[in-house]
Order: sequence, then structure tokens, then C-alpha cells
Amino acid sequence: MHLLLIEDDAEAARFLAKGLRESGYVVDIASDGREGLFRATEGLYDLIIADRQLPHFDGLSIVAMLRKNGKHTPVLILSALGSVDDRIEGLRAGGDDYLTKPFAFGELLARIEALLRRGNQPEVTTRIRIADLELDLLGRKVTRAGTPIDVTSKEFQLLEFLARRAGQVVTRTMLLEAVWDLHFDPQTNVIDVHISRLRAAIDKGFERPLLHTVRGAGYVLRDGD
Amino acid sequence: MATDARHPGGTLRLSSARLALLYAMLVTVFTSSVLLSVYLLTRNALEREISAVVRAEVDDLSDDLRLGGIAQVAATLRLRADSWGRTGAVFLLADPNFRPVAGNLTAWPRDVVPIGREALESAMVEFDIDAHERGESVLHPVEARIEHLANGYWLLVGADTSERLNVLRRFGLATAWGIALTALCVWLLGAAYARRTARRVRAYATTCETIMQGDLTQRLAVDGSHDEFDALAVAVNAMLDRIEQQTTTLRTAFDSIAHDLRTPLYRMRVRLEEAQLRAGLPTEAHELIAPALHDLDRVQRTLATLLQIARTEASGVTTHDEHVDLAALAANMVELYAPGMLASGLHVALDAPIAAPVTGNRQLLAQLVTNLLENALKYVPAGGHVRVSVRNSPGGVSLSIADDGPGIAAVDRAAALRPFVRVGDAPAHASGSGLGLSLAAAVARLHGAQLTLGDNAPGLVVHCEFPAAARREAPAGVAQVR
Repeated sequence: MHLLLIEDDAEAARFLAKGLRESGYVVDIASDGREGLFRATEGLYDLIIADRQLPHFDGLSIVAMLRKNGKHTPVLILSALGSVDDRIEGLRAGGDDYLTKPFAFGELLARIEALLRRGNQPEVTTRIRIADLELDLLGRKVTRAGTPIDVTSKEFQLLEFLARRAGQVVTRTMLLEAVWDLHFDPQTNVIDVHISRLRAAIDKGFERPLLHTVRGAGYVLRDGD
Repeated sequence: MATDARHPGGTLRLSSARLALLYAMLVTVFTSSVLLSVYLLTRNALEREISAVVRAEVDDLSDDLRLGGIAQVAATLRLRADSWGRTGAVFLLADPNFRPVAGNLTAWPRDVVPIGREALESAMVEFDIDAHERGESVLHPVEARIEHLANGYWLLVGADTSERLNVLRRFGLATAWGIALTALCVWLLGAAYARRTARRVRAYATTCETIMQGDLTQRLAVDGSHDEFDALAVAVNAMLDRIEQQTTTLRTAFDSIAHDLRTPLYRMRVRLEEAQLRAGLPTEAHELIAPALHDLDRVQRTLATLLQIARTEASGVTTHDEHVDLAALAANMVELYAPGMLASGLHVALDAPIAAPVTGNRQLLAQLVTNLLENALKYVPAGGHVRVSVRNSPGGVSLSIADDGPGIAAVDRAAALRPFVRVGDAPAHASGSGLGLSLAAAVARLHGAQLTLGDNAPGLVVHCEFPAAARREAPAGVAQVR
């Protein structure tokens, strides 16, 4: 996977690129808006990570110009402007996701993965299977090893979000955004309690756990460690 | 919010109409007294004139009597008899038995037969005479003087006062009409002026409300008449220009602060994370890095909250046009917090039976509810109860979050809404920045609501009263989260 990172802060760019390369991505760096726009227009990238405040062209203008030229490469906007209105502005400009600095590297990685996989999800799914866990998306029912499991409607939404991204790390903020439509971080770890309840429901009494915690990043639903 | 500020029309109209009425009354009283004085003076002058004319005639006739005797008087009177119709003068010379000798009366008037000499000398008498005009009999009032002549003859000299009465009546009528018309004109002018004043003040009030709702680009209308209202509007507009300029400066400053502080924080985090990832790092180093990252997150959250408060307070709101169902929002938030609260031994109940639409920013409203729930989570001890209610009230939508925790003493409530203030004996594990209530209050203000802290006896109740959006009711049950 080929990524373009447009970031004028050299040190941050170096660290992000290093981390992304270690995670198996090929990364190009552009250090200002003009170079970034040029590379984004010319090159074939799977994803663009653009800082919002840049010399020459800011991140939002780059997204807007790309979209105007018919390029639909997913764009993740990084910004030191973190208010709700800034975020809405960023997404309205054509950005696919918006991350406020400072963020944990794990958060960035999870969001990149989610954006890259967004395109190749099966169109219509009515059933999801992970090992012996089965979700009936139409009947909103969960079974594990053939035994029905009682979950609340929010727990089902949580599980569905994790199951659709089985094998991918899902962060707390991603869950807050997707299940509760909240775009800010509460101070307490409310999500952790929901995950423990969900884990108690689907993993308790079974030898192989499916819902795992990824330290410093989030959670992942997968068969095996 | 004061209801008077929203509906200034009623009281204003009343006060300006009252002013117009008062002016009309004053003008009427002044005009009436002036015209009445003129009327009375005119009447007096006319009366004096008649009496002077009569006296002069009497003197003339007395001269005739002295020079030529009764015959001369009779001759003069006969000469003047023709002119009665023209001058309105009345003459009669009668013998001692009141039989007419000469003059323009056919008989001595019956009502003024003198009883004694003194009774008729000097004073004026009044009687009516029957005159024939165009075949009709018309009564004419007469004012006259009676002289008892030396030879026992009686002389009556008078004037027909019907003309004078006519003049006075017409004058009186004109005066009354004048007063009425003046009063009407003054009242109409006053009412028109009052309406204009009320309209302009109302227009100003409306504009000011729009501005208060966050549209700082609005200005008061200047109509170019250079009157005191224009002067006021120009001054207020200048003030608004200044405020708008300051707000822009503030917003820019907030953005710069956000950028300038977040960038070093970001780099710090990047370095710490890089260190954390470095292979072969001793465990002690990890034990230092993890809390440092935790602290960094806290600094960043505090900064974000502070900036959010500042931006919310200075906001020229443009994106706040979402229709938010506060009942559904509260249900969503209670659902999010219920498991965490249950784990802390708290019982949370939701009472939001019907849809409660408000206009605003969903994320900020969610932040408001979040902060209040987090406070409850922090301060209410295990075994406590938290109740979230959303109700449609007559004025809009009311949201209240009540608990039976330690509460906030009445004296501390105002201070508790200010940034960085933590009141009472906060439990040791409470790790808030003291910004939660402050941000909640700022969000409430942004939505035209006032956040108030009250006594739940025992505990705290936080109450917000929102103005309603276009209301649409949908049924829902009272949910109990266990």
C-alpha cells in the first residue's frame, strides 16, 4: 500500500513515516502544500494523509482540488484545530476522516487501515462468521457455537462494527463515532466498560477468546491471538 | 431570558401612545383656555359698546329736548325710525301714561312698565320685541335704557342685540370646532410619531436579538434622517464593528493558541511514542513513559476544553442549525454511561418520554450531557441515584440531571460554573480539571439556555431550559436502565 504524507513539521513527518513503514506501508513525504498537491495529482496513492495547516495550500484546499479533478483517493486530515466545527468543515471539504493532534500513533494506524479497507467490503452482507461466532444482521441475533447469546441493541451495534472489521484494530474513538455518533473524547473510559460487558457475553465460558484488547490502541475481533 | 426583551412592542406602544395622549390633552387645555379668554373678552367688548352707543343716543336726545322741547325729540325720532332695520336701534318717546308719541316701537313694552322713577333710571333693561319680517313674527331681544324726561314723558333708547348674540354664537361654535380640530390634529400627529418611534425601537430590538443569537454581521438600520435615532444607530453600529473586530481577533488568537500549543504537545507525544517503540528499553523507562503520555493526554484535553469554552463564548454561531431531539440524545448518552455507572455502583434512570426538539449543535449538546454525567460519576458515591429528565415545558424544552450525592452548597453554586473552580470536598479519585460545568454552562448559553444548579435535597440538580424548535411529538416510553 502506497501512502502520501503531506506534513510540514519535519520531525513529526519523520516519525509518522517511520512508524508507517514499520507497519508495512510505502510512504512518500511532501513538506508543503504545493508539493503535496503536485504529488497527489500525479502519483497513484492508496491514501493521502494531509496536515490541515500547510505552507502554500492548506490541507482542505488540496482535498477540494483533488475532488474537483475527479480524484477519489481517500484523504485523512490531521489538524491542530480540534473543535467540532473544524471537524465538520474538514469532512465537508471532502476529507474522509479527521484526526486532531496530538493523537496516538495507534489511532492513526487504525484509521488508515479502516479507510483502506472501506472500499473492498462486500456490498450486502446478512451474516458474519468469525470462528464459531455468528451474527445474523437481519434478525439482529448472535450465536456462538450454535448457542443463542442475549445482547442489547447497542451491544449488537458494537459487535457488528467490530465484526465487519474483523482482524482490524478498532479504537475507542472510532467506536464512539460509529455507535454513539460522538466526535469528542469523554474523560472516563466509558467504552472499556461496554467492551467488558460484550466480552462477558460472547467470550465467557468459551475456551478461545475472540475479542482482544490491543494495548495503547483499541480492540480487535479475531480468531486466535 | 427576559420576556420583555423578546416582546418589546406591547409596552413600547403603550408608553408612546400614553405620551401622545398626554400631549393632545395639554394642547387641548392650552388652546381651550386661550380661545375661551378671547371669547369672553369679545363678549364684554360688545356689551360695553352697546351700552356706550345707547348712552350717546340718550345724551343727543337730551340735548334735543333742552333745545327744542318734546317736539324736537319727536321729530328726530321720526327721522330715525326708518333706519331701524339697518342699525338695530330702538327708540320710543311716550307720554306720562306710556302712550307712544314717536319712535320705531308701536307700543311701550309691557314687561318694563316702570313702577317707580328710581327703579328705571340708570340701569339697562332687557325685553323682547315682536318684529314682522317677511310676514313672519320674529322675537328680537333688546337691551335698552329708560329716561324719565322733565315733563313726565318717557324716553326708551335701546339696541337690538340679536345680531350680537348671533355673532357670539358663531364665534363660540368656531371656538369649539377649533379646539376639537386642534386636539384631533395633535393626537393624530402624536400617534403617528409614537408609532414611528415604537417601530424603530422594535426594529432595533429585533436586530439586537439576532446579533445576540450570534450573527455579528447584522447592523441597526440608519435611514439618513439624521435624527436622534440615526445618531443612536450609528453609535451602536460603531460599537458592533468594534465587537466584531475583537471577536475575529479572539477567534484568530484561539486558533493560533490551539496550533502553537498543540504542535509542541504533538511532537512531545511523537517522541515519547518513538521512545516507547524503541527495542531493548528497560522496564523502568516504560514505567516513566506511560504516565508521561497519560499526563500529556490530560493537558491536551484541558487545552481542548478551554479552547472550546472560549470559542463557544466568542462564537458567531453559523453551524448551529441542526434539529436535535434532546430526548433521543439524552437516551443515547445514558446508554453510553449506564454500564460505567453501574460498575461504580450508581443507579441511573432516564425520563424522556416524548421527543423534545431543540435547534443547535448536536456534538456540543452531547458534550454538555456528557460533562454532567461525568460529574455525577465522579462525585456521587456508590449506591447513589442519577436521574436524567427531558421534558417539553411551556417555554421550550427542559433538561435536568439530578443526583443524590453530596450536592453543591448554595453559596458555592455561582462559583462552580466558573472555569478551574472545584467546590466542596471532591473525592480523592476525582481527576477533573474543573472545566466540565463551565463548558456545560457555555454550551447552554450558546443555545439560549441558562444552566442553573439547584438543591435536589439531598444532592445536586442541574437544570437547563432550552427554547423549543418547531415542535413535533412522537411517543416513547419511560426507560429504566438497570
